Amino acid sequence: MTDNSSNQKVIVFDPELCTGCRYCEVVCSFKHYGCIDLSKSYVRILFNGDEGTGAFEAVNCQHCEEPICVSACPSEALEKDERTGWVKINPLKCIGCQMCVYLCPLSVPFFDEERKAAVKCDFCDGDPECVRHCSPAALRVVTREEALQLNKRLYLGIR
Amino acid sequence: MKRGMNDIRIFRFDASSCNGCDIEVLGILALGLPLSELGIKIVDTPQEANTLVVLGGVNIKSEPELEEIYELIEPPRRVIAVGSCAATMGIFKGGYTMTGPVDEIIPVELYVMGCPPRPQVIVSALADALGIKIKEIEPLLKTPEGFRGEPVVSSGKCIGCAACMNLCPASAIEIDDTDDERIIKFTHKDCIYCATCQEICPSEAVELAYRDKPWFGDKEAATAEATLELKKCLLCGIPFVASKQVDWAIKKIEEKLRIPQEAHDQLLRTSSICPDCRRKSINQVTEAKKILTSIAIRTQ
Repeated sequence: MTDNSSNQKVIVFDPELCTGCRYCEVVCSFKHYGCIDLSKSYVRILFNGDEGTGAFEAVNCQHCEEPICVSACPSEALEKDERTGWVKINPLKCIGCQMCVYLCPLSVPFFDEERKAAVKCDFCDGDPECVRHCSPAALRVVTREEALQLNKRLYLGIR
Repeated sequence: MKRGMNDIRIFRFDASSCNGCDIEVLGILALGLPLSELGIKIVDTPQEANTLVVLGGVNIKSEPELEEIYELIEPPRRVIAVGSCAATMGIFKGGYTMTGPVDEIIPVELYVMGCPPRPQVIVSALADALGIKIKEIEPLLKTPEGFRGEPVVSSGKCIGCAACMNLCPASAIEIDDTDDERIIKFTHKDCIYCATCQEICPSEAVELAYRDKPWFGDKEAATAEATLELKKCLLCGIPFVASKQVDWAIKKIEEKLRIPQEAHDQLLRTSSICPDCRRKSINQVTEAKKILTSIAIRTQ
C-alpha cells in the first residue's frame, strides 16, 4: 500500500454496531433514484433470520485497492480514481455485459434493467449519504489503513 | 412466372420511412442500367403498376392509403417491402403512431434488407423476383470496403454476456435461456446495420458480413445464432450465466491482478454462485469480504 492509498477514504461496515434500521438503504435509493425503494439501494443490509443469531451484514462496496470489477470490465467503464481511490462506473461506457456483477465476490454492482447498465456505490462524490444518516455509526468513513485493520479483525480473526 | 408479370412496373409508396430508402430507390435511376430494356419501369399511378414497392413501417395515417393503393393495382400484383422498417418497423417499433409492418396490412412477397438497402440490391431483388439475370449489375453488387451487412455471430468466440442484446437499438437480438443452454439469436429482419453489436462485443464474436443475396422471402428464416452452455448456481441450482463468460472474465482478471492462490480458489467458487444468492446470505457476504480482505493484505 502506498502512502497515498493508505490515506484514501473508504466506507466500512461494523456489524457489531448495526441496529438494522435500514436507513442507509432509504437514503441511498433516494439520493440515486429520487425515490424510496430499498430494492434500488446500492448498499444492502442482511439479517440472519434463519439462524436466529441476530447478526447483521452489509453488501457495501469496499472500493478495493486492486478492484476485481475494474480488471474484469471489457469496456473500461469501471474506473478507479487514482487520487481518491473511488471505484466508479461511467454509464456512458458501460455495455451491460454484467462481468462486474458476476465476478465481484460481493456482487456489489447491480444491473439496472431500465438503464441497461451496471450501477454501484459512487461514494456520493465524497460525502456518502449512508454514512451521514447512520446513527449508530455502523457505516462510517475511515482511511484504507484503518479499514484494513477492522476487516482483518472481523473477517480473518487477526488482531 | 405469373401471367402478365414479365415486366416490372413499379409504383413506390412511402408508408412512413425516414426517406433513406426513398432516396435509394431513386438511386436506381442513377446506376446507368438499361432499365427499360430489362422491363423495369417506374410509373406514376397505381393503375399502371403491377409491383408495389413499400418503404417504411405503416402508421395510422398511411394505413388506409396503403390499402387503397393496393386495391387500385390490378392483380396479378406483387408487393416488395424495402428496408428494415417495412419488414418489422425497425427502430420505430413501439412508436405510438405505428400500426404494423407492411405484411400485417397486405401480403408481401419479398423483403429487401438494409437500412437503407443499396440501389444495386433493390434492382437485383427485383430482377430475382422477375427471374431475369442482369449481367451489368454483377460488378456493381460487389460490396464496397467497410460496408455493413447483416451481423454474423461466431459460436466459438461468443461468450454469451448479452451486452449486444442490451444495447441493440432495434431489438434485433434475442436471448433464449433453456435449462442448460443459452441461444443468442440475431434476427436480420429487425437489424438496422448500425454495428453497435460489433463495436461493443467484448470477445469480438460479431462481425457485420455481407451475403450474396441480401433479400429474402421468409423473414423469420434470416437469422444467425450462437449456442452456449449455461452455468447453474451452486446454491439454488438456477442457471444464471454462460460458463464461457465467467471463464473469459477470470482469464482477464488473472492477466491484470496477482491474486493469492487461496483467494483465487475462493473467487472461482463465488463466481459459480448467482448474485442473488450471494447478496442474500450472511455466510456468503462474510466469505466474500474474507476474499477481499486477503487480497487487500497482499497489496499492503
